[in-house]
Parts: sequence; C-alpha cells; structure tokens
Amino acid sequence: MRTKLEILSKDELDTIYQTALDILEKIGVNIEDDRIIELLKKNGCTADSNNIAYIPQKLVEQCLNSTPRGKVRLSGRNPDKDMILEKDQKYPFIISHVLMNYYDELKNDYHTITQDDIRDFVTISDSLDTISGNWMCTLMPDYGKMYSFYEYEIAIKYTSKPVCISSFEPEAIPPTLELAEAVAGGRDELLKRPLTVAFCEISPLTWNKYGCDMLKACSKWGIQPIITVETPMGDTGPVTFAGNIAQKIAELLSGLVIVQLLQEGLPVAFVVPLETFDMRTAQICLASRPDYIYGLAVGQVEDYLDIPFISPVSPDSKALDMQQGYELSFSLLSRMLCNNKCIVIHGLDQTHAICNELLFLMDEMVLSGKRMLDGIEVNEETLAFEPLKEVAAKMEGNRRNGHFLNHKHTLKWFTPEQLPRKDNIIDKYRREKWQEMGSKSFVKRASEKASTILESYKPEPVSKDIENAMKKIHEKYNIPVI
Amino acid sequence: MNDSIKSIYDAVIAYDADLVKRLVNDAISSGEDPIKIMNEGLSKAIIEIGDKFGKEEIFLVELMVAADACKAGVELVKNNILEKKVKSEKPRGIIVLGTVLGDIHNIGKDILKTLLETGGFEVHDIGVDQPANNFIDKALAANAKIIGSSALLTTTAPSQKDIETNLLNRKLKGKIKTIIGGAATNADWAKEIGADFYASTATEGVNIIKKYFEGEGNED
Repeated sequence: MRTKLEILSKDELDTIYQTALDILEKIGVNIEDDRIIELLKKNGCTADSNNIAYIPQKLVEQCLNSTPRGKVRLSGRNPDKDMILEKDQKYPFIISHVLMNYYDELKNDYHTITQDDIRDFVTISDSLDTISGNWMCTLMPDYGKMYSFYEYEIAIKYTSKPVCISSFEPEAIPPTLELAEAVAGGRDELLKRPLTVAFCEISPLTWNKYGCDMLKACSKWGIQPIITVETPMGDTGPVTFAGNIAQKIAELLSGLVIVQLLQEGLPVAFVVPLETFDMRTAQICLASRPDYIYGLAVGQVEDYLDIPFISPVSPDSKALDMQQGYELSFSLLSRMLCNNKCIVIHGLDQTHAICNELLFLMDEMVLSGKRMLDGIEVNEETLAFEPLKEVAAKMEGNRRNGHFLNHKHTLKWFTPEQLPRKDNIIDKYRREKWQEMGSKSFVKRASEKASTILESYKPEPVSKDIENAMKKIHEKYNIPVI
Repeated sequence: MNDSIKSIYDAVIAYDADLVKRLVNDAISSGEDPIKIMNEGLSKAIIEIGDKFGKEEIFLVELMVAADACKAGVELVKNNILEKKVKSEKPRGIIVLGTVLGDIHNIGKDILKTLLETGGFEVHDIGVDQPANNFIDKALAANAKIIGSSALLTTTAPSQKDIETNLLNRKLKGKIKTIIGGAATNADWAKEIGADFYASTATEGVNIIKKYFEGEGNED
C-alpha cells in the first residue's frame, strides 16, 4: 500500500474552505490598483472607498473552473525534464533554491553569493537525480535592476532542468522573456512551456501596487504566475492552524480570481510557506514546529483545491549542524508523506544562504522520502516463504547455518526494496575503517563529493541558438556581460 | 579467450549459477582444457567481481551470488580434472577457518571462505563453536599455514586468545599464522593477544591472506 499521511478530514477541509470563501466575501481584499478594482466590480464584486473588494463565492468558483488543471508546467531547456504538477503525481518534485549568500562550513565563511557560487550550485543540482530544477532569487548586487534576467541566464547555462525566478523589475521583463523564448524554441513554444515567475501578496489580505503590477504583467506577457502568500502565525495571520490555512486559501484565491479575470485560462500555482512569528526572538521563522504540522496538511489542501502548491522547506539553522538536520528532515518529510506536489528547498539561515554540501543531505533525504512513499509491497515473492525455507534447510551438524546473503531472492529484491547507493556518502563503516579513511565528517565527505562532481560532471551544453540569443539580448538591451 | 570460455566468464558476471554449470559442462564435453576454463573463465570473472566489491562498485549480495555461480563451475572442473587425471595447479594457500567456542555466528566466516575458495585457496572450514585446539589440529592435518578465527560476541573473543596460547604451548607459534576478525574484535585486540593479522572485513581478510601467500611475510 502506498503511504499517505492525512491530518484533516473531508468535513474539516470543507469547513476551512468555506471560511476562506467567507473571508473573501465578508472581510474582503485590499487592492491598490484601480483597474483591477474596476475589473472585479464588473464581475460581481463590491468595493468600498478604501479599495477593499468583496469577492462573492460564485466568482471564486467560476474562476477556479476557468483555471486549467494538470497544466502547470515548470520548464527549462530540456522538455523531457519539465515538471508537470498534477494531482496523481507519484513523488513530489524537488527544487533547490539559489539564494543571496553562500555558506562554507569547512572554511567558516559566509559571503554574498558570487557567479562562481551560482555556477557550482546549479551544476551540482543538475547532476543529482533527486533535484528537478532550480529557483533563482539571489538579488546579487552586481546584477542591479536586471537581476532576474541575469539569474535566469546563468541558471539556464548550467542546468537543462526547469528554472523559475522570483518576481522582477519591470525593465527586466522584455529581455528575460526573449531569453525564455529562445530557450523554449519560439513564442508559440513559450506559451506551451512558459516562463514561471513567483511573486507575493501581502498579508493580511492585500494586493499592493507591486503585486498588482506583477499580476497584470503575467497576463500581459503570458507568464505563468506562482502566487505566494505569507501569513506568519501570530503576526499577519492567526496563530491557529485552521484559521491560518483558511486565510492563506482566501489570499491565494484572491490572486487566482484576478489572474483569471485578467487572462482566463492562464495556469496558476501557489507557493505557500508556513511561517511562525517566534515570540521569543521576534523573528519570522520557517522551519519551526508549526511548519511540520502544516507540512502534513499541504498535500490535502492542494488536492482539495486541485491547484498545485509549491511548498518551501527553509531551515532556520545557521550552520550544517544537528538543528539543520532536524529542521530539514521534519519539514521535508511531512510534506513528502502528505503528497505535496512540489517542494522548494532553501538552504539555511532563514532563506538567506545556500551551501553545496547541503545538496547531498537533501539528496539522501529525498531518496529515503520517496522510498517511504512507495510503502511495503506484499505478495508471494516479497513474503519470501520459499527462500526462507531454502535458507532454513541449510544445516551444519544439527544447527541451522543458512543465510540470505548469497540468495537470488536477495539479489532480485535488495535494490527495489532498499534503494541502496554505491556512491553513498552516508557513513556505514566500522569505526576503525572510518578512522582509516580520515575520520571525515559528513560535511567533509560531501565537500569532496561536490569537488568530484564539479571536476567531472558537465551539464548538457546550451545550444548555439540560445548562446546567440544571449549575445543579441545583451546587445539589444545594453546589458553588460558579467 | 575463446567464445565458450568468454560465455562462462559472462555467466559468472551475470550471477547465473545454472548457466555457469550448463556452459562449463558444454565446454568440458567439447574438449575444452579444464585449467583454461578455471583460469580464464571462472577465476578471471570472480577476481574482477571481487575487485569491484573492493572498490564498492557492487554490493556484497552480487559478490556472493557470483561466487556461488563460480563455485558451481569450479566443482565441475575439479571433477573433470580428477577424472582425466590432469595435473591441476597447486592451491594458492591452505587456510583453516572457524568461529570460536561459544559463538555460533557464521556469516562473516562464510563470506571469507567463499572469497578465498573462488580466489584459488584451499579452505578447511571447521564450523562454529569450535575450541582452540580444533583449529590447531585441523591446521596440522591439512598443512595449513594460516588459522582464521571469527568472534562476534565480546564474551567469546577471549577464545581467540586461547588459540594463541595453545600455539605457543605446542611450539607452533610463528609456524602457523593467525588472523582474527568479527564484530567483537579490533586491531588493538589482535595486538593484545598476539594474533599475526586482523581484518575488519572479509575482503580485507582476503587481501591480507593473498599478500601473505604471495611472499610478503611468508616464511616458507
């Protein structure tokens, strides 16, 4: 039986959803854009003098119906590696996020991210089967107001897997879109395999000017929007899970309604972190205890709405220490076991830093999570009655001395049952052997593996067409090559 | 390597004991040199597989199943050699293996045995729960140069010391070398009791024994 954890009953989900609809209809959404307010009013909403729009249930359901299902596709250079987010996915897709800083545990160095850091991190991500793509948000100072173009460009160079970006400055839209067109193979292809951009609504229940501009830009340029809401518990969202989730759903649906009214039929996905306002340190934290509980609900909520959720896993730990292992494993596993469709993993330090070594811990955890999802297969062969009978029949004197180590049953089932790895960097040696090999910590072994990959692994190279397009875009928009 | 020997080699690499047996029988029937079958087909394949396991390119189960496939072929070849009275090659060395008194764990010992046998060594396995003198008596009877003892329990590891003491008492210390292994042992324990060698894994044990018989440290 396949594993799936559920934390909410159907009745509880109905109640939460109905509360979200009530929030939209009775509390309303603050919208800082007259054109969008007018559009909402034309479609049955009311609005007051404070630009609060009250969205009726009927309109929400109409817009949910016009949102295409099973069509959210995160794309990159190689169409075979596209992620298609849909209801019956076997495993969640895992995205590794590129962030503003790089942390080197072995050198005890924390610095603003560089292009070399991005190249190495994206290359290693590309080499790992468990990672399906990259999300870019480095805000690198050298990139200035063209950061989304630069981030997209450098990621595209070093991975053929999907690349998503987080918002952008308005002037970066045309060059980024032109590059996305070249990557997709033309305008028509780009419509089928669109550029994906995430941006934020502001809690509680507010679409500010920036958010409204992003919604309009997506509809104008045919960009696939990923609507993000952040409702830190006890801060801009209720401290209770049910209320917080209802508010999240209301805010997400408000974005979905606007998108569908601006451009009916545009696919939409949601990014939905669970942040906690830490009352001890006055920090907004992502991988606290509430996140693990919410993590168990994500898959159920997205299945209920039938809109994919991209769910962040964002350890707060500043180092590759036991806290990192704890936060990463609890956040990740809860999401995987509840059938979340897509998980984006931030490195460490409250979404501020990445680290190459951490990719290998993620890689191992994701593989284990996938195996846990597969559950336990029970059939005549896996019950192994006959092999046991054979092993038990082996005698030395009047004592049984058989084992399964040389049995064909072990040969056949060892790999599918246990997903062993030959190049595993998880230490399983005897202490003496481990000492003989240099008494290396996990971080040290992971660092060596990173070096090996960077020396030997070559990502699928960009085509001449894309290379030429990059050159032309730099010239056309006067964007310096960095 | 001709086609029939190559197919035997491939069958071992494919972990297929039944196919190995059939192909070895076919090769013998068609007049293939049994020594060639052994050296160029079976041994070559298992040495390569052993190397792969040593480099962690394959798993233990693959090595063990391949070794069984190889052994199935070796038995047939040996019988043919005996029937034809062909002069066979000398074993690379003779070893006595067993698990010490009070201990009935046999897996590590069996892995070592399989690896040694497929590597061309003559192995006398005296089984589990064996008193010290049984190891020594068997070594004398078989003219073995190395005694290998396994102890998985900390309560039974002292029996390995008994082997050393008895070798000394019987004035055989140095003439018969000792190698110890098992979860209850380590290099410090080997040093403490006066064992000649310690192996933390079966593959390490094979390497130590090979090295010994290849001359380095071999007093013969």
